[in-house]
Amino acid sequence: MADIILQVENLKKYFKTPKGMLHAVDDVSFTIERGKTLGVVGESGCGKSTTGRAILRLLEPTGGKVLFDGVDVAQLDTKGMRKMRRNMQIVFQDPFSSLNPRMTVSQLIAEPIIQNKILTNKEDIEKRVAELMETVGLADRLVNTFPHELDGGRRQRIGIARALAMNPKFIVCDEPVSALDVSIQAQILNLLKKLQRELGLTYIFITHDLSVVNHFSDDIAVMYLGQIIEKAPTEELFAHPLHPYTQALLSAIPIPDVDIKEERILLKGEISSPINPPDACRFAKRCIYACEECRKKAPELTEVSPGHFVACPYYDKLVQQD
Amino acid sequence: MAENMKNENLALDIQNLTIHYEVDGDIVEAVNDVSLQLENGKTLGLVGETGAGKTSTALAILKMIPDPPGIIKSGSITVCGHDVMKASKKELHAIRGKDVSMIFQDPMTSLNPVLTVGEQIAESVQLHEKGMSKSAALDRAMEMLETVGIPRERAFDYPHQFSGGMKQRVVIAIALACNPKLLLADEPTTALDVTIQAQVLDLMRKLREEYKMSMVMITHDLGIVAEVCDEVAVMYAGRIVERGTLREVFKNTKHPYTEGLFNSLPNPRDRKAELIPIPGLMPDPANLPQGCAFAPRCPYATEACTKAQPQPRKFSDTHTVLCTAYDDAGFHIRRNHNG
Repeated sequence: MADIILQVENLKKYFKTPKGMLHAVDDVSFTIERGKTLGVVGESGCGKSTTGRAILRLLEPTGGKVLFDGVDVAQLDTKGMRKMRRNMQIVFQDPFSSLNPRMTVSQLIAEPIIQNKILTNKEDIEKRVAELMETVGLADRLVNTFPHELDGGRRQRIGIARALAMNPKFIVCDEPVSALDVSIQAQILNLLKKLQRELGLTYIFITHDLSVVNHFSDDIAVMYLGQIIEKAPTEELFAHPLHPYTQALLSAIPIPDVDIKEERILLKGEISSPINPPDACRFAKRCIYACEECRKKAPELTEVSPGHFVACPYYDKLVQQD
Repeated sequence: MAENMKNENLALDIQNLTIHYEVDGDIVEAVNDVSLQLENGKTLGLVGETGAGKTSTALAILKMIPDPPGIIKSGSITVCGHDVMKASKKELHAIRGKDVSMIFQDPMTSLNPVLTVGEQIAESVQLHEKGMSKSAALDRAMEMLETVGIPRERAFDYPHQFSGGMKQRVVIAIALACNPKLLLADEPTTALDVTIQAQVLDLMRKLREEYKMSMVMITHDLGIVAEVCDEVAVMYAGRIVERGTLREVFKNTKHPYTEGLFNSLPNPRDRKAELIPIPGLMPDPANLPQGCAFAPRCPYATEACTKAQPQPRKFSDTHTVLCTAYDDAGFHIRRNHNG
């Protein structure tokens, strides 16, 4: 039996808008094994960040269960949630806006330790901050610098140190390298890998960058308009993408190699509105294979081979429609 | 005479361009002694990280460096036969849009929110086609919208009614409305999702052929370069450190920095391969080291590298590299060694 750390069941997050209900996350279910990384990919507005936040209850879920080591996070009261958050942390995308500009590096890293009363003795806190800085590769001379004096990569290291301060078991990494240059991006990805190895962390890695997620994740969930439309082990997904959207998405990655020329599947149109979506396949409008049935009933995510789930009933008999 | 013949083939000829920004007594050396030629009909990828000087170089081509604080210290720029540095204001107006156009990174902020997209395209047409009536210009605008794949009725919509990918198409329509000979595209797809990026890149490729344009594609994404460019120039700390054809730079990489960029990327053929980041950070352009600016991060750097600026070294007619290490005849970088 696999050691499941996080089980998400029918997670929903709706937002009220003047035009109707916006289904940001609509009936999302998945599990993650301890010590593994689940990559969540999709385009802007597909609900990947909202999923990450609803799991941590940074956004209150509209419905569904989030079982962390068997405890339903969604049912916890404020006090219980506060305790639970020690286990579950997040690293944000933009290290430029997620750090208080008036706090020094040491204050920023000490803040969660003090707030959660993990340590109370001043010396202990200082020691812990120094330890965390070393863990994430920040030189001790930076202890009293302010975020604006640092580059994006170092700022992201502070964000990681803050998340690690509570000794979490699980971290949601929400586009942690998207704002960084490639050479720095590689430094941060390697750091996150190292931390996972050494501390046995479990990650949800949210990104729109498919080459990064390919390198980083054990499993990948592809989201489209609030739903998971395909989920599989990384190698399987890249070798045998089944959903027409996944196929298009993977073929759209520009590959930095002059000898690989991939046949590109160009999608027509853009992501449609998530407000009051009809009971139909949400991708049907852009899908070159879409048939009548697709527009009548929403497909379900079904396991078609061990570990490989796809929300397209016609995945094995796709016929291009005009 | 031979020199003149050569120039006629060039859409762009930059010689020894140096741009400084002088802020609070600090001198930021953004672009240092850059020379760059681009033949008619070719697409050049200008690659580098944040702060490498890519955008400054592009802005200088249009003589749009904000002054102050920017100062073009030296150099000459010839675009389609026009000497941009010596051009009067009036001449510049004629060159911009007609000969050279630019697409900016962020389509969200490069459109005017209070004009319809049709008006914005028509505006640029009317500026260059003197005497064209408003309705004729609007007609042309609608045609342009169709060219970039937007229905012509949408000419009467405002930018906020368009999605990001559609806005970038509008920006492209404006840039191409006057049929420019050279297009400068500054990270045109960075703000877009990959499937939309694929659409926009595909469109740009088609239009480039249709309009027989030359293009400078500024990007940090080597995948995009491999896909759209014929030639590559890699910039680091204000200098072009490696310049060659796409194949030369990708397959016969010579500069350690270019190698570092490739090593930092996940390998599409081997997903488990470890990433090898470039250690450290780009030097502060207000405080560049004396010798090669990459030397402090370079795994191959020797003492000679830190002493003097590397001199350009030619590996072929098209392939030039700024690296002192090749003074030693036996030197090669690891990437080449492994094939």
